[in-house]
Amino acid sequence: VSEIDPAILEVFREEASERLDRMVEDLIALEEGRSGKEAVDSLFREAHSIKGSAGMVGLEEAAAIAHAIEDVLGTARAADEVPTQLADPLLRATDALRLAVAGKVGVSADVLAALTAAERQHASSETPADEDRAGAPPAKEPVSAPAAKEPPVAVSGEPAEAPPSGEAKRLPERRSIRASADKIDRLLDTVSETVLHHRRVEHLLANGGRGLGHDDERIDEELGRGELLVEDLQDAVLQMRTLPLSAITRPMRRAVRDLAVAHGIDAALEVNGADTPLDRMMLDGLSDAITHLLRNAVAHGVEPPDERERAGKAPAGRIAIRAVQHGSMVEIAVSDDGRGVPRELLHESTESAGLFEVLAQAGVSTAKEVSDVAGRGVGLDAVKARIESLGGDVEMRSEAGVGTTVTLRIPFTLALMRVLLLQRGGQLFGVPLTSVEEVVTVTETVTLAGRAAIELRNRSIPLCDLSDIIGAGAPALWQPPKALIVTSSGRRLAVACDRIVEEQEVVTKSLGILLAGVPGYLGAAILGDGGIALILDPAFLTQAPRSRAPARLRAEPVPSKVLVVDDQFTVRELQRSILEAAGYRVETARDGSEALSRIGAEPDVGLVVTDIEMPEMDGIELLRSIRSEPKNAALPIVMVTARGSEEDRRRGVEEGADAYLIKSEFNQQALLDTVERLLAR
Amino acid sequence: VSDLHVLVTVAGEHYALPVDAVSEVAEYGTVAPVPGAPATVLGVRNLHGNVLLVLDLATVFGIDREGLPQRVAVVEHESVKACLAVDSVVGVEVLPEAAEEVESRYLRGAALNGGALVGIVDVPLVLSAVRETPGP
Repeated sequence: VSEIDPAILEVFREEASERLDRMVEDLIALEEGRSGKEAVDSLFREAHSIKGSAGMVGLEEAAAIAHAIEDVLGTARAADEVPTQLADPLLRATDALRLAVAGKVGVSADVLAALTAAERQHASSETPADEDRAGAPPAKEPVSAPAAKEPPVAVSGEPAEAPPSGEAKRLPERRSIRASADKIDRLLDTVSETVLHHRRVEHLLANGGRGLGHDDERIDEELGRGELLVEDLQDAVLQMRTLPLSAITRPMRRAVRDLAVAHGIDAALEVNGADTPLDRMMLDGLSDAITHLLRNAVAHGVEPPDERERAGKAPAGRIAIRAVQHGSMVEIAVSDDGRGVPRELLHESTESAGLFEVLAQAGVSTAKEVSDVAGRGVGLDAVKARIESLGGDVEMRSEAGVGTTVTLRIPFTLALMRVLLLQRGGQLFGVPLTSVEEVVTVTETVTLAGRAAIELRNRSIPLCDLSDIIGAGAPALWQPPKALIVTSSGRRLAVACDRIVEEQEVVTKSLGILLAGVPGYLGAAILGDGGIALILDPAFLTQAPRSRAPARLRAEPVPSKVLVVDDQFTVRELQRSILEAAGYRVETARDGSEALSRIGAEPDVGLVVTDIEMPEMDGIELLRSIRSEPKNAALPIVMVTARGSEEDRRRGVEEGADAYLIKSEFNQQALLDTVERLLAR
Repeated sequence: VSDLHVLVTVAGEHYALPVDAVSEVAEYGTVAPVPGAPATVLGVRNLHGNVLLVLDLATVFGIDREGLPQRVAVVEHESVKACLAVDSVVGVEVLPEAAEEVESRYLRGAALNGGALVGIVDVPLVLSAVRETPGP
């Protein structure tokens, strides 16, 4: 074995493991009577292939087990029969084969003996297969489920080979190539960088001013073309990282079967929408959550056969995974037709704490007065935390005696998402658009027990200041504040902020392992100007009103609006952030003429801060134009210039400037003091 | 292991970062605060298209600083990358043996260098401290 090239061994193991997955699927279909001869044929072929390649890489024991499986199936094939009752020993043989493929030795003796015994018994009984199926089911024994394995990534966007049965068709093998997931992640990273790079170039050209020729139509055209190319590229790579849901649900049929046997119930798993595509990153996080829900359905949902019959149900329970894609969201429902959640618990759930939360709470509480309920709840908080960390939400519906459905809603990917950018205390935040219902202006609030709410179409929605929820310590909200109606897991909250900026598609990056313990964020997005917007977790936001302070919506006067005029982007944004952090509303303009049209369009501009040297219309000219308008004669104007030239100062004062600041001596406090002094007049 | 260190100042005090731990020195740049993060976290910033955490060495060592830091030293340990905010970067020098005793657990020791007491920063401990310090 040691002489075999590790890379070849790796390829063999990956391939064999996929074949084994398909064999398990076929065997379960065979056992449930869902499949016949075609499954026997495909099982025979898979075993034959594994036998051949295992021999070549020197895994003798694996080859021997595969050979035994092949023999049993070959006999059945030759006799043209479907050996339903051999499914169980064959399943256990595949488990041993999996271990042998992984390099374990001494795993075959028992299973081979069992397989031979079962085959002998089967041959001597000479019972027709279909009568067997109608009679008592063969004694099944739970066997350990195969260890969960990272799904391989196939570059075509489909699994390297589709399962032989079920809804997906088999693709010609040569159309796919294998690529390690790491390489595709690196490609996606680089493409994301390219998107950002493109935005930076656009931003520079749009805001860079002099000398960059942003008016040139050809440059605009090329930029537009570049944008399309980069988008295509990004889509293509995301597609590559996409796998169908079946990549994680395939081993689950087996897991449900084994669990059902262990719990003394009869249950089968049904998967609908197995071809629903999801980003691999999301799938990885989803697998544990779905497995846990299935375990719950078996252990606490589906009743034993006699109990089911008394309730007028079919003896075998139905557990189903149903997946549907809605735009950029994927909805996965895990349901069972079992006993449902007791009525008294159904009553405990309210709008602010859904059934799922009530159960999860029962699971973590140490009081064991209702052990079954506590058992059901165990681990649900982890499921919830996992789904929320993927930007999703969880909802549970149940009817006593009828069944339970848990619905997980997660975005198709976290790598790329549409967010609504908003501003609070001079800082930018993003909220995933899929969680934003609408944007409202808060003109009136109602309060109860000191908590604020707004009325929207005859319903009251709790209102919170974003700054209070995340603990940002921003100045009081502008009046009237804007609020977004955020929903998650069936809860809604009006989140108040200073300004809604715009909708944008962003590349989200993790905040990193060091900040993993800080709740409230899905990550951070780098914006076109190189700045950062923190992406807020909708689940965290909507859980806020229960535990946090009421919205701080003081009846303060509307803060003054300041117009900042400068041809340099950096200077404009620096002044904007200083002024906004101090609570002012800020508008910006790139030169004198743009400033004039702003003042015309927005009569509530209370003060102007302007540069002197600017293209088109300079600061002095702007000053003159403003003063020539009688209604603006008293509008305070602060001149800012690069040099402390006496000549500039004299001209400014002559034309009626109210204050004069020098850029090279520029400091925050001087600007704020000047603005405050002039506005107080 | 090299004796070369990147010498920095924090609120008038002198500190040294082992040169192997430092991948880059950059301007302080624009740092977005992360509400809810531990007190030692100034925020996150964009460095070459990556989102990096910015830690305040002054807060780590419990000293007061006036105004904003001017520079960051980008450090990396076991593939965790972060920026350490400092007031200035003095240069790269070979330090004498760290023979002086120190109180802070975030220092590996201290050395006398040209009349100044220089604290040798334990970069992995400083990084792990983020997860141990409570939020505001």
